[in-house]
Amino acid sequence: MKVTLISIPVRDQEKALKFYTEKLGFIKKKDTPLDGGNRWLTVVSKEAEDGPELLLEPAPIHFEPSKVYQDALMEAGIPYTQFDVKNVDAESERLTKLDVEFSIKPTIMGTVKYAVFNDTCGNNIQIVEEL
Amino acid sequence: MTFYEKELNKICSIVYSNKGQINTAIGIRNYIENNYDAKLNLDLLSRIHFISKYHLLRLFKKYYGQTPRQYLIDKRIVKSKEKLKNGMSVTETCFDVGFDSLGSFSTLFKTKTGKSPSEYLKEQLSRST
Repeated sequence: MKVTLISIPVRDQEKALKFYTEKLGFIKKKDTPLDGGNRWLTVVSKEAEDGPELLLEPAPIHFEPSKVYQDALMEAGIPYTQFDVKNVDAESERLTKLDVEFSIKPTIMGTVKYAVFNDTCGNNIQIVEEL
Repeated sequence: MTFYEKELNKICSIVYSNKGQINTAIGIRNYIENNYDAKLNLDLLSRIHFISKYHLLRLFKKYYGQTPRQYLIDKRIVKSKEKLKNGMSVTETCFDVGFDSLGSFSTLFKTKTGKSPSEYLKEQLSRST
């Protein structure tokens, strides 16, 4: 078995695609039309195109418990997932200039530095740098 | 303050309260990061950081979740992928990232990536043409 895909729930796939490619810098990998205007839509990291794909999944629109869970995480400030970056300070500065909102500014915790931002699709996302 | 921040603060005060230990662990990691291509072993790392081998091993595992050796191997594999991607030969890559035997490099590379270094190199070359 291999880990090739992780999914992230989004409220609007087109908006998510724009955010994840234009702001975060991911690259679109697969885009297949599905029933009812939904898409099998995945992106990959520019630095590891052969790495796991991130599925931008419209679950909160079609499955109420997914929406409830996503809302609860957002309200508690809990990140849905996290991505590794080389430099949290530089990345958060770059994203702030692109109007990305951070709920936690770069913070050191033991042997990591992290920050948390809003992906505008219903999720908090954490970026992490190992110190 | 959100629930998440409160929880992190709690964890921080329990797990990350010993600044001295954290600085030592970070120092060891930085040393491995900057010298992954050299001959590294626990004896050398413990001499440099003035702590016993056993303590160093325990400390590193506590804060990074891996032994220094596992961390070093992962680092070397990441670096070797970069070098192979840039077209460096398998043998040259092997010694350039600090392995001293082609056999152990190939075995570790295959275990970690699912492909042998030469298969990986071939794939990269066919991608770039």
